[in-house]
Amino acid sequence: MKARAALGWVYLAALFTFVFAPIGASVVFSFNSDRFPTLPLGHFTTDWYARAFSRPEVWEAIGNSLIVAGVTSVVATFIGFATAYTDFRYGFRFKQAYLALALLPPTLPLVILGLAMLAWLSQIGLSGTLTGIIIAHVVLATPFAMAICRLRLSQMDPALEAAAWNLGAGQWTAMRHVILPFCAPAIVSALCLTAAVSFDEFVVAWFVSGLNRTVPVMILEILQGNVDPQINAIGTVVFLTSMSLVIAAQFMIFRRRRHG
Amino acid sequence: MSTSRKLDPYAILWRIPLLVWQGLFFVVPLVFMAAMSFWLVKNYRMEPAFVFDNWAKMLGRGAFWDAYWLTLGRAALAGLLATVIAFPASLFLSFGLGESGRRFALLCLIVPFFTSFLVRAYAWQVILAESGPVNAALGVAGLGPFTMLNSGFGAMVGYLTLVLPLVVIFQTWSLAAIDRSLIEAAGNLGAAPLRVLVSVIIPAAKTGLVLGAVFAFIMTFGDFVSPFYLGGSKPPTLTILIIDTTKSGQQWPRAAVVALAMIATLFAVATAALKAAYGRRG
Amino acid sequence: MTENRLHLTRRRLLQSGATALLATPMLNRAWAQEATQINMLAWYGHAEPDMVAEFEAANNVKFVPKYYAGGDNMLALISQSPPGTYDLILSDAEFVQQLNAAGYIEKMDAALYPFDDFYPEFQKFPGHWTDDTLWSVMVRYGLLGVSYNTDALTREEAMSYNAYWNPKLTGKVGHFDWHLPSLGQISLLKGNTAPAPWDIDGAAWEAVKEKTLSLKPQVGGYFDYGGTFSGLKNGEMLAMVGIGDWITGVLAKDGAKVDSVIPEEGGIQWTESYSIGLGTTKHEIINKFINYMLGPDGQVKSIQMAAYPGLSPTKSGWKAIQAANPDEAKRSGLIEGADNDPIKMFREGRIFYRDTPKQQTLEDWNDFWSDYKSA
Repeated sequence: MKARAALGWVYLAALFTFVFAPIGASVVFSFNSDRFPTLPLGHFTTDWYARAFSRPEVWEAIGNSLIVAGVTSVVATFIGFATAYTDFRYGFRFKQAYLALALLPPTLPLVILGLAMLAWLSQIGLSGTLTGIIIAHVVLATPFAMAICRLRLSQMDPALEAAAWNLGAGQWTAMRHVILPFCAPAIVSALCLTAAVSFDEFVVAWFVSGLNRTVPVMILEILQGNVDPQINAIGTVVFLTSMSLVIAAQFMIFRRRRHG
Repeated sequence: MSTSRKLDPYAILWRIPLLVWQGLFFVVPLVFMAAMSFWLVKNYRMEPAFVFDNWAKMLGRGAFWDAYWLTLGRAALAGLLATVIAFPASLFLSFGLGESGRRFALLCLIVPFFTSFLVRAYAWQVILAESGPVNAALGVAGLGPFTMLNSGFGAMVGYLTLVLPLVVIFQTWSLAAIDRSLIEAAGNLGAAPLRVLVSVIIPAAKTGLVLGAVFAFIMTFGDFVSPFYLGGSKPPTLTILIIDTTKSGQQWPRAAVVALAMIATLFAVATAALKAAYGRRG
Repeated sequence: MTENRLHLTRRRLLQSGATALLATPMLNRAWAQEATQINMLAWYGHAEPDMVAEFEAANNVKFVPKYYAGGDNMLALISQSPPGTYDLILSDAEFVQQLNAAGYIEKMDAALYPFDDFYPEFQKFPGHWTDDTLWSVMVRYGLLGVSYNTDALTREEAMSYNAYWNPKLTGKVGHFDWHLPSLGQISLLKGNTAPAPWDIDGAAWEAVKEKTLSLKPQVGGYFDYGGTFSGLKNGEMLAMVGIGDWITGVLAKDGAKVDSVIPEEGGIQWTESYSIGLGTTKHEIINKFINYMLGPDGQVKSIQMAAYPGLSPTKSGWKAIQAANPDEAKRSGLIEGADNDPIKMFREGRIFYRDTPKQQTLEDWNDFWSDYKSA
């Protein structure tokens, strides 16, 4: 049993190493003096940080990304949950078409979606605004939220909700006291994941953002025209921030164990 | 279900948001894109028309079908690999860790998404280079150097970086919810661990396994960054073909044809897979 | 060389440290609110501080850039954005024709710009004028030839496009992923110089295609800017088709062993030009800026632009760089009569403007390029 656990840890560590290797390398490059990192490395420097973060555009981009990702995650998770619940509980005509709406967006190639989205948002006067980016990102992120919530719901005994009604609870009460608590972990995950999807999306954002840059759009620009470790510096700061939030969440929010 | 026919405000509240949002902001662009595939380009400007030239042209091209089968094959392989590689880790996360440890690990897996995929792909370019650390390490063991970049292998590394975290999340969500007593019962009945895995655990976690694979397939199919930056466009995938097509002086209508072919394919694959995942469940 | 590099790095470090301290985002934003905003659609780097900070401070304007990653995306972006979104557009010369044909840019008043100071070759740049109407003003250019790793090839070996077929480079030849420069170079190799590598008849086009396909076994990949940079830097690619000093110049500054030469068969010129976006209301300040960039101070900045270097089309630009940075003037050939003097090479008939195909359609060339990539 112990041997199996040890093996499990080793495997998990290997997988995490693979997933985090590029991020780790990026952290190293961000402190390395070479503009184009190769082995052997140059000398230690914080120059790239000084350069990147002395630019007001970088702060603006970070602000934009936070707003867009924040609003996107709330809206997308709400729509995703509502859709998952509808699929879980109700059967109706045209349900296949309804579900297709929930499933199709990630299948669109982003370049084309970006152009089509820009064309439409220009028509309704929302191109070049943060609202426009949020609209597009909710479209893209909702399926992820829907998938996670639906997965959680499929683990719930449908009789549970019915039992609550039999005990005299209204639909709303049952939702509040039975379903939402049961789905809470999925909802938290969906919030994080949709925020992440938005935070990493640059193709559609490039088209619809006009002159408002988000972090990945800015990274795209640097990568396409200047390639320097400022992208690693920005990436490192974003990584450390999101990692600290995760650790903080682990120790603060999830300390209170839920029952049920 | 008993209440399925009643349409009260409660039911409407949950049903409407998707219809409104995706109807307004997804269906309209989608229709625009479909219409665009019948347009013409004159003087570097798209002009509305209704001709089948773009369809005939794209579907008649060898380069399109080469890219199509390549993309399909790569996406299938990536979905399969991601599922197989993620599974032992998900199994351990689900049964070898406590609830809080598991939650922490899953949140950690979301973190990479926040570090732009472009930055991660760029880092792989250095790591996998012939002069990079991986080859240096292999060199110590007397192996290599291997050419890993600008090949199918490089692209696959990119795909897995993109999808592995998500696949682990979906799988773990499913596996962790399996009723432990079921597994114990099987064990008590004398079933060997492998047997328990195959006949109890995998069927019970089917939904998450399929969902993970489907998302991996879809994301790989539509990914531009991995095949371009790590695969060196050797050979081009459909996403690369889309970009290339627009370089004929604004041939977005023809790019739209490629896009629609991609959507149709992905939709067919995804519906079939999800039917399998959610079918035969209570 | 090393000393110079170290010195540069230290100075840069001090500079950026100071900027970081002084220019907190708050201060900058307060100042920006009063300034006139100029929206510039450009390749990366053109609205960065090294290019525009001085002009911004002197004229109380603020450049807000939208950087694009390819001319075709740029055109698509304009086509679907409300008119007047972008005041100033910087594009490659080939795209000026497309911008103009599609009607996205305004006429310009030729009297406002210092054409007298231009080398005569550039005064009436093709595609920038229709008869006597001016649509765009060129601001910088550069040359494309054979870019190679100096450990892998000697300069003599690199002096012909045949170098791409050198067995030493098998699997290590990269393409900059755009059909015009790559196929243009093969066309030059096939001797299509009269009148130009893009103006070729059907038979010559077939020959170019055939020759290009024969390069396939040598090819290691197709790259954009980022990929080209890192491919050459880490030695993954030993030669790159379709680029020039604008990439290797930057890499060499970082210590990479790469160089570019204009081979015997001739070289290709890329050209970047300013156009005025249709619907802008800021003509006066835009014209002032274009004049500033064409003047000696602007040209010195443009020649040494941090993102990628470019050559100067004006005589005063050459004089200014010779005074401001003699090493750079020497390196990039901005000294009349020097071996690498671009105007001299042009007059010798060795340089051709990158252009769109004349006897075939753009689509013919691009379709072949896709076929080649998937072959």
